[in-house]
Amino acid sequence: MTFQDLILKLSAFWAAHGCLIQQPIDLEVGAGTSHVETFLRVLGPRPWSVAYVQPSRRPDDGRFGENPNRLFKHHQFQVILKPAPDEVQQTYLESLEACGIDPRQHDIRFEEDNWESPTLGAWGIGWQVMLDGQEITQFTYFQQVGGIDLSPVSAEITYGLERIAMFLQKVDSVYDLEWAPGVSYRDVRLRDEIEQSKYAFGQVNMPREAFVALHRELFDRHHAFARTLLDSGLVLPAYEQCLKCSHLFNVLDSAGGVGVTERTAYILKVRQLAVGVAQAYLQTTAPGAPEEASDR
Amino acid sequence: MDRELLIEIGTEELPASWLPGLTRQFGEHIAARLGALRIPPDGPVETYSTPRRLAARVARMPERQADVEELLTGPAVAAAFKPTGEPTPAAAGFARKHGVGVDALERVETPKGPYLAYRRRERGRATADVLPDLLGAVLRDMAFPKQMHWDAVLDDGRGELTFGRPIRWILFLYGGRVVPFAIGRSEAARSGLVQEVRSAAVTYGHRFLATSGRAGRAIKVRSFDEYRARLVENFVLLERAERHDKIARELDAHAQRLGGRVSSAAAVQSGLLDEVPDLVEYPSVVAGTFAPEFLSLPEEVLTTTMIHHQHFFPVVSATGRLMPAFLAVTNTQADGSRTIARNCERVLAARLRDAQFFFEADRRTRLEDRVPVLSTVLFHKKVGSYGAKAARLERLARHCAAAAFGRPDVADQAATAGRLAKADLVTDMVRELTELQGAMGGIYARAEGLPEPIWRAIYHHYLPAAPEADAPPSRADLGEAAVTWAALSVADKLDTLVASFAGGERPTGTRDPYGLRRQAHGLLKVLVDLPELAGIGAPVDLDALRRRARALLDECAEPGHAAPAASPAEEADLTTFLEERLRFLFQQRGFAYDEINAVAGARRAFTGDPHDARLRLEAIRLVRPSPDFEALAVAFKRVKNLSRELRVEPIETLDRLAEPAELALLEEFRTRGGLVRQAAARRDYAEAFRLAAGFRPAVDRFFTDVFVMVDDAALRDQRLTLVWRLHELVVELADISEIVSQLELNR
Repeated sequence: MTFQDLILKLSAFWAAHGCLIQQPIDLEVGAGTSHVETFLRVLGPRPWSVAYVQPSRRPDDGRFGENPNRLFKHHQFQVILKPAPDEVQQTYLESLEACGIDPRQHDIRFEEDNWESPTLGAWGIGWQVMLDGQEITQFTYFQQVGGIDLSPVSAEITYGLERIAMFLQKVDSVYDLEWAPGVSYRDVRLRDEIEQSKYAFGQVNMPREAFVALHRELFDRHHAFARTLLDSGLVLPAYEQCLKCSHLFNVLDSAGGVGVTERTAYILKVRQLAVGVAQAYLQTTAPGAPEEASDR
Repeated sequence: MDRELLIEIGTEELPASWLPGLTRQFGEHIAARLGALRIPPDGPVETYSTPRRLAARVARMPERQADVEELLTGPAVAAAFKPTGEPTPAAAGFARKHGVGVDALERVETPKGPYLAYRRRERGRATADVLPDLLGAVLRDMAFPKQMHWDAVLDDGRGELTFGRPIRWILFLYGGRVVPFAIGRSEAARSGLVQEVRSAAVTYGHRFLATSGRAGRAIKVRSFDEYRARLVENFVLLERAERHDKIARELDAHAQRLGGRVSSAAAVQSGLLDEVPDLVEYPSVVAGTFAPEFLSLPEEVLTTTMIHHQHFFPVVSATGRLMPAFLAVTNTQADGSRTIARNCERVLAARLRDAQFFFEADRRTRLEDRVPVLSTVLFHKKVGSYGAKAARLERLARHCAAAAFGRPDVADQAATAGRLAKADLVTDMVRELTELQGAMGGIYARAEGLPEPIWRAIYHHYLPAAPEADAPPSRADLGEAAVTWAALSVADKLDTLVASFAGGERPTGTRDPYGLRRQAHGLLKVLVDLPELAGIGAPVDLDALRRRARALLDECAEPGHAAPAASPAEEADLTTFLEERLRFLFQQRGFAYDEINAVAGARRAFTGDPHDARLRLEAIRLVRPSPDFEALAVAFKRVKNLSRELRVEPIETLDRLAEPAELALLEEFRTRGGLVRQAAARRDYAEAFRLAAGFRPAVDRFFTDVFVMVDDAALRDQRLTLVWRLHELVVELADISEIVSQLELNR
C-alpha cells in the first residue's frame, strides 16, 4: 500500500463512519490538534466529527534528511469524534483492518500515554497504540482545551502516517517509502527536509544574534496583531496569528535562541492567546450568539 | 442459603502501573461498603484484574442485612413536660420526628440526668435490594492518580462520575441473578453512540482471540467458576500470578533456546517483570535478534532502549555478556508465526540505529563545550538554569573534597566532575533516553579520555537513590573514583535540596514533584556510610556544607535572576526535613525508635554529622544489653528532670557538698567523667557508654541518700549543678532518658 493509498483508505473509512473530510490547516503547525477543526470544534456542546491529514512541523526533530526515522515535517491523519462514541476503540481497530492490518496476526496494545500541550492550554487522557512494539497512533480523550473543561468529551485519534506506511511497506528508512507507484518519499520530501532543518537550526547566512532577533521581532508582531484581531472580535484570524507565534517560538527554541526563564514566558504568552481565542469562540457560538460565518 | 457476589467493571485499558493499587482498593472499598451496609461477607473479598477489568468475588454473602436497634436520645425529661404533665413542644416535636406519640418514648438515665429516648428498630432488607447502592458507592470511592471525565453520571445526587478510564460494561451478579445498576451519560454526550452502561450477566474476552465464535463478542456467565472458565476459553487469564508465571516460564524457555538467559538484574531492577503481567490479558513470549554490530553501543544504551522503550527483555550469555537477542511479551497466542517477532526486530533496529546516530553525533561535541548550553535548560523556575547549577556544582564539589572530606588532592578532579556532571542533559542520547542521565555523561567523559575518577564520578553521581546500606553503587563500582564521586554525589544532592527549599519547594504527604525525599536519602546515605564508600573516617560537618551550598546560590546567580532571599524558616524547614529522612534511614536499618530518639536528642549533631549519629546508634545497640546501662537510662529520667530545676547559672565551685553520697558522685563525675569525654573524643562511643553505665551505683546512692531540693538555696543550687553536669556529660552523646528500658516494660 502506497503512502497516498493509506491516506485514501483512512479517509474513505472515516467518511463512511460519518466524518466530515476536511483539508489541512494552511499554516505551520506542530500537530493536527492545532487545526481549528480540532482546537475550536471540541469546545462547546455541538457534536462534530471530522477527519483530515495534517502536515506537522517539529523544528527540533529536523535531521537534515540523514535520520531514517526523524523528520522536520511528518504527516498525521487526525480524527475528531465529538462526543466520543462508546465503541471508539473498536472502530479504530476496524480502521486498521481497513488498511490491511489484521489484529489477529499482530500484537496491538493500548499503553498509557497522556497528552498535553502547554501552549494550547490543552490536555487529555489516553494511550499510545502499539503495533508489534511500534507506536502508530496517539489516542486521546480531550479533557481541557484552551484552559476550558470540555463537555462533551471528544476522542482524538492521531495516526502517524509515516510510521504506519513503513510498517506496511516493510522499509527501514522513511525515504524509501513509496508515496505513489514509482515515486518515493525521498523524491517528494528529501530536499524540503534538508533545507528546513538548516533553517530550523539557524544555519542561515546571517549572524545567529540577527537570526534570533528577527524571530523574536516576528513573534512580537504576530503576538500584538493577534491581540488587535481578538479585540476586533475576529476570533479565527486571531487564532491564526496565535499559531504563527507558536511556530516562531518552536523555531527560536530549536535554534537555541530562548533562555530558560524566557522559555516559560513565551509558552505563557502563546497560551494566553489560545485561552483568549477559546473563550471568545465559545462566547460567540453560545446559544443566541450570531451564527459564525464558517458554520455549515 | 448464602449466595455468591460477582462484580466485574469492564474498562478501556487501565495503566499498568495503576493496576495493583486499583485492584487492592477495589477489594478494600467493597469490603468496607458491605460492612457499612450491614452485609459483612462470610470470608474475604477476592479480587482480580487485567488491563480491561477489575473484578471481585465474595463466595458467600448473607441474604439479609443485619437488623438495627438503636436508642436515639431526645430532650431531657426535665424539659419534656410542663408542670401540668403535658409534653412540651420539644418532646412532642421529637416524637413526631420519629412518627410516634410521646407515650411511646422511653426514659434513659444519662450522666446529665434522665432523658427521653426513642428506640429505633429496623429490620434488615434483602441483600439483593441493597446491593445496587453498593456499586455506586464503591465506584465513587475509587481514587486514581489521574481522574478522567468521560461524560458519565450516577443518579446518587452527586452528578458526574469520573473514573480512571471509560467503563464499557458491568457484570454484576448476586446468586446468579443480575443486580440492576446503571451509569448514566451526561446531557451533552447522550446520543445513539453514547449510551447508559447497564449491569448484565455478560463479560467480554480478549479483543482479538477466541476459541470459538467471534472474538470480542458478549459472553453470558452465571457464576464465578463459569466466568473464569469462559474467560480462559476467550484468552483472558484472570489471575495475575498465572500471567506472571506463564511469562517467566516462556522467557526462560526462549532464552535457553537462544543459548543464554534473561538478565535477571535487568528484569528485576527495572521492574519490567513486575510490569508486563499488567499490560496483557493473555501473555506469550516471542524471541527476536538484532544485528551484532549494535553490540558496539554501550551496554547501558542497549538495555535501556530494550527495557524502557520497548518493554523487551535483554538476553545475556552464561558469562553475563549481552547477546544480540531480546524477548518480547505480547498480548496474543504464540502461534509459531514469526511476523510479530520480525516486526519487533525492525522497531528495535530503528531505535538502535537512532541511538547509534546519537552516539556518534554526541561525541563530536565535548562535554566541556556543552556546559554553556546548560543555561538554556531550566533547573527550577525560581532558582535558575542548569548553567547556574553547573557553576555551583563545580565549586561545591571542590569544597566537599577539600574542606569537608579533607582531601585537597582530589579537589580539582571533583571540581571538573562537578562542572561537567550535567552536560549530558543537552546530548541527543539523554534527551531521547532520559534514564541514562549521568551514565551517559560518564561514558562520553571516558570516550574523551578524561581521568577515571572524573568519568566514574559523573557516571554514578545520581546514585545512591535509596537509603539502604547495600544500595548501589558499591565500593567496587567506584574504584579509584570513590572520593571524587562522594564529593560530587553529596554536592549534587545537597545543592538540589538547598536550591529547592530556597525556591519554596516543600515535600508534603504524597506530593514530592522534585523527588526531594530521594535526594535526601541519597545525600544522607553517602554521609552515613562515608568510610565504607570512600574510606573517609573524619567527621563531616553537614551544617557547614549547607551554609556553603546556600551561599553559592547567591554567588552563582545568573544575571537578572537573583536567588530567593534566605530566611530562618527555610533553614529550619530543611533541618526538620533532613532529620525526618535521617530517622527514616536509621529505621530502615533496624534501629529502634527509642535509640533513634536518644541520638536525635543529643547535644552533639544529628543531621549535622550523620555518620557520627550512626556510630553512636551502633554503640547504644552494643551496650544496651548490659543491666547497668538500662538501669542508668531509667535513673537518667530523674537526672534529666532534676537538671531542669537549675534556675541559675551552674555553680563554679561545689564547696557546700558534704554528704558522703554526693561527694562520691562528685568524685565519680571527676574521674569517670573525664574518661567518658576522652572516649567520646576518640569517637569510641561504645566505650563512652560503657563508662557512663558505671555511674549507675553512685547515681542510685545519690538519689537514695540525698534530698536535693532543700530550702538552703546555695546548697540546693550546688546539688542541682552536680546533677546538671552529669546530665550534660551524657546528653552530649545521647539523651539516654529516651531509652525505653526492659525494666520499665516489665514493671
